[in-house]
Amino acid sequence: MSIFEYNGSALVAMVGKNCFAIASDRRLGVQLQTVATDFQRIFKIHDKLFVGLSGLATDAQTLYQRLVFRHKLYQLREERDMKPETFASLVSAILYEKRFGPYFCQPVIAGLGDEDKPFICTMDSIGAKELAKDFVVAGTASESLYGACESMFKPDMEPEELFETISQALLSSVDRDCLSGWGGHVYVV
Amino acid sequence: MVYVTSQRKDIVRNEGFRTVIIMKIDFSGLESTAPLCGASSEMFDGFSTSPSFQIPDTTDFDDFQKEAIQMVKPAKGTTTLAFIFKEGVMVAADSRASMGGYISSQSVKKIIEINPYMLGTMAGGAADCQFWHRNLGIKCRLHELANKRRISVTGASKLLANILYSYRGMGLSVGTMIAGWDEKGPGLYYVDSEGGRLKGTKFSVGSGSPYAYGVLDSGYRYDMTIEEAAELARRSIYHATFRDGASGGVASGMLCFIMWDQPDGRSYLVMTLGNFTICTIQLNQPLSSRRCPKLEFLCYSI
Repeated sequence: MSIFEYNGSALVAMVGKNCFAIASDRRLGVQLQTVATDFQRIFKIHDKLFVGLSGLATDAQTLYQRLVFRHKLYQLREERDMKPETFASLVSAILYEKRFGPYFCQPVIAGLGDEDKPFICTMDSIGAKELAKDFVVAGTASESLYGACESMFKPDMEPEELFETISQALLSSVDRDCLSGWGGHVYVV
Repeated sequence: MVYVTSQRKDIVRNEGFRTVIIMKIDFSGLESTAPLCGASSEMFDGFSTSPSFQIPDTTDFDDFQKEAIQMVKPAKGTTTLAFIFKEGVMVAADSRASMGGYISSQSVKKIIEINPYMLGTMAGGAADCQFWHRNLGIKCRLHELANKRRISVTGASKLLANILYSYRGMGLSVGTMIAGWDEKGPGLYYVDSEGGRLKGTKFSVGSGSPYAYGVLDSGYRYDMTIEEAAELARRSIYHATFRDGASGGVASGMLCFIMWDQPDGRSYLVMTLGNFTICTIQLNQPLSSRRCPKLEFLCYSI
């Protein structure tokens, strides 16, 4: 088992019609042992920007605290919220700073940009951005999630339908993974 | 002759036939403009100091993280248990098969019938367990034919342990319990692929076994009824599947067969359907006859 599979996680974000949804599982484990069934992996940066952090739980929490700190500084200087594209570049830079001793974390960023245009992206643990127009996945169940999302996704879904789709994709994928599960948190904006 | 491009060349010509060119090597391109140490401070935009990386204190840049990543490999991702009590021997198991982190099946039969009066449990490599249990069944049958009487559980477990010991170190992964009835009453042995063989009254094998032991040890009494023993076994497996990621887990998937055949003719087949129902079937004929014309159902829903 690798360090990315130490705690176990499943994250997915999807794009709908002027909305986005981001979902994660709730299990926190130490290898195979389940330690908690209500662990939070998705954090709010501001009303229209959410970041989910999969991988090692300690790095996820530390990285979240760093990102919130940087965003608050930005808010004080610019007197406005960060755009999702800008935030993604910020996360990428912070991750690459630790190129030779990285955070063992794969972030999933989802937000609404100008005119409520949805934006999602994911990156690997050293900051390689992967932008997508439909969905992004991360975590130990990522291969199952790719398959489930690929078959269930339709473009331009309304929020209710998007919620149903992302929930079903998440639940069916974590059923095939020992290290994630125990329900899910879904945020639809 | 060595050629090095340079801005300055001093050519010295020797007397004789050879020409030697002496170059002054220019290292100006290799000087670093970034300071050697000093991480960028996040309070000052990150721009005030030149970008620099924190280099880890190691000589092997490419592979040092691989060693940090190696964690103990979980062995035998399953939960099986068996215990002897007043009425016989109870055997129970979960039904999840996992390959590393991936769940390959939620409905695996982990209790294998070696012959009509002996059961084996599967933990470790599925192929190894299935093959060697079947092989053991063949050897038991041959023993029966050669000696005109059934092999004892002691003898059967010894046969298996000797076979596994001879393959020791070759990578077999088997953690099994041989449970059954012979002339001395119920018998239970634990046999593993390292060649170990233990006689006992209570065993649990697999990655979920610590959790199962917790419930089993606190609830165990020798004089339980069949229903109480089935309920204890079901609860132990349930709590193990709750905490252990490699034991499953899904309400629709858990199925466990618990059965034994007593020499005086009474037989019981106990099944759990889903996580919460125990169904005990009392058979009027020994199980070994493989025909059960009359069945009385006792169903418990919890």
